[in-house]
Amino acid sequence: MNEFELLRNITIGQYLPTGSYLHRMDPRAKIVATALVVGAVTFTPSLVGNACLLAACLLIVRLGRIPLGYALRGLIPAIPLLVILAVMQLLFFGRNYDPASPIVFQWGWIVVTSAVVRLVVISAARFVELLFVTSVFTLTTRTTELTHGIESLLAPFRRLRVPAHELALVVAIAIRFVPTLALEGERLMKAQASRGGRFGGSRWQIVTRTRQLVPILVPLFTYALRRGEELIVAMEARAYTGGAGRTMYAVLPGAPRDWLAPAGALVFLVAMLRAPFPF
Amino acid sequence: MSSLETRPAPDRPLIQIEDLWHTYMVGTPFERVALRGLSLEVRSGEVVGIIGQTGSGKSTVLQYLNGLLRPTRGRVRVGEHDLGRRGADVQAVRQMVGVVFQDPEDQVFEPLVGDDVAYGPRQLGLPFEEIRARVRWAMDAVGLPFEEFKDRYTFTLSGGELRKAALAGVLALRPRVLVLDEPTSGLDPRSRAELWERIRDLRTRDGLTLVLVSHDMDEVARQSDRIYVLHDGAVVAEGTPREVFRESARLEALGLALPEVTRVCQGLRALGLPVPAGVLTVEEAGDILAALLEARP
Repeated sequence: MNEFELLRNITIGQYLPTGSYLHRMDPRAKIVATALVVGAVTFTPSLVGNACLLAACLLIVRLGRIPLGYALRGLIPAIPLLVILAVMQLLFFGRNYDPASPIVFQWGWIVVTSAVVRLVVISAARFVELLFVTSVFTLTTRTTELTHGIESLLAPFRRLRVPAHELALVVAIAIRFVPTLALEGERLMKAQASRGGRFGGSRWQIVTRTRQLVPILVPLFTYALRRGEELIVAMEARAYTGGAGRTMYAVLPGAPRDWLAPAGALVFLVAMLRAPFPF
Repeated sequence: MSSLETRPAPDRPLIQIEDLWHTYMVGTPFERVALRGLSLEVRSGEVVGIIGQTGSGKSTVLQYLNGLLRPTRGRVRVGEHDLGRRGADVQAVRQMVGVVFQDPEDQVFEPLVGDDVAYGPRQLGLPFEEIRARVRWAMDAVGLPFEEFKDRYTFTLSGGELRKAALAGVLALRPRVLVLDEPTSGLDPRSRAELWERIRDLRTRDGLTLVLVSHDMDEVARQSDRIYVLHDGAVVAEGTPREVFRESARLEALGLALPEVTRVCQGLRALGLPVPAGVLTVEEAGDILAALLEARP
């Protein structure tokens, strides 16, 4: 019954302290493990493989002691996108994708082959898996941990003039701003509705809904730019000059057992790529 | 203008909230209860002040006044509309109750002032002449003369002017009730005084019912007929400004500052001088002090 609570459905960028094994894990290990699982999601081409991946995702959500309902909630705003994507694939791929595959359905110029159906199912599954993995990652990792983790992982590349600290900062700021912008969007939506703006209607009236967004998006951009400038001033006022010569308040411990997770993820990735799944 | 005297009110309140509860982010680990059985009412033609610390539930209540939030526990009635009912006409409620949120200038999105003020009436699908008339009225009412300001770029306006333009955007809906959340926060003293004057005019000249939410205790005390004090999602005190600010110790315990004049008079009382409790205006305090000084040998 609540048309304006945007933040309720955003699980990316939130931190949910439940004190689980995943929360305590060294962020570097967690980044590597996440990257490996994302790799597995991206490269697994089969239905059975994706079923395994979904199971693995559920296991990861359990490990992080994250309520399943909350993790699933992140999917709600993405449903229209998923459906549009599926419809596009079904309508327009036709025989261009794997012409040898048998035809399941044909009506006029619309041709659906079994390969396309498979593709649709797999891409939807991939989307869900990616959302799970990234949500769990941000829900179990503080922004500071993430920043330090990225910086520490990129440190060896500094010789190649990779600005490790700055890249880490960019990632941290981007993630940190997701909930902030959602809140601001919510505020603007309410303000515009209070002066006669109409939003919502059906989830599927895409053109109307997009046009309704102009009075929200324009001020939201202004707000984002202004916030960015405020951030710059705040950083400069505290004599921030980037990574050179900066020490850290928290030193990453890096216990050996933390690297069990990426090791496990690596084994999983190889298994996924090598396994002779029939479908 | 002083509105300290209570005036007769019609029988049925325009807005009535009964035993309202609200929880944010239901069903997520971030659940937070914001309202715990709050009740309040707004009568036609009166000015109601709502005060309370940050987190007391003020901004949540505001969102119920025009149906941005719909009650799941408790009752909210605005005019003839029961907002708890599924089919309630929320658009009609939003036209009747205009809410101006804190820092409303953030909601301005059109390049030209006149276009932005016209956003609401345009959404209502009114004929062009009617839109123009409403925009003219609203801009004149807030002190941005229509002919002079309608074609100005919004980014060339000063902070105070932009605030007024945003206020005009809500007024253009021709609401019966105007709800203002911290209307003068962040403005310089001169714009602040001018804006308060415009708000007073809306009441005296246009007969609008006002709901004021503000930290500016002096203004709330001066303008309101009745005040609700919110704490932890419920009403803890209610009455005329004089009644409410008389209980200074209690308000301070709730973390609320008294109006400056009241505080000074309270200090004099504490020194044992015969000053009445709940003094609200500078004029009143002046009379009392003059009398005191004359009585002294």
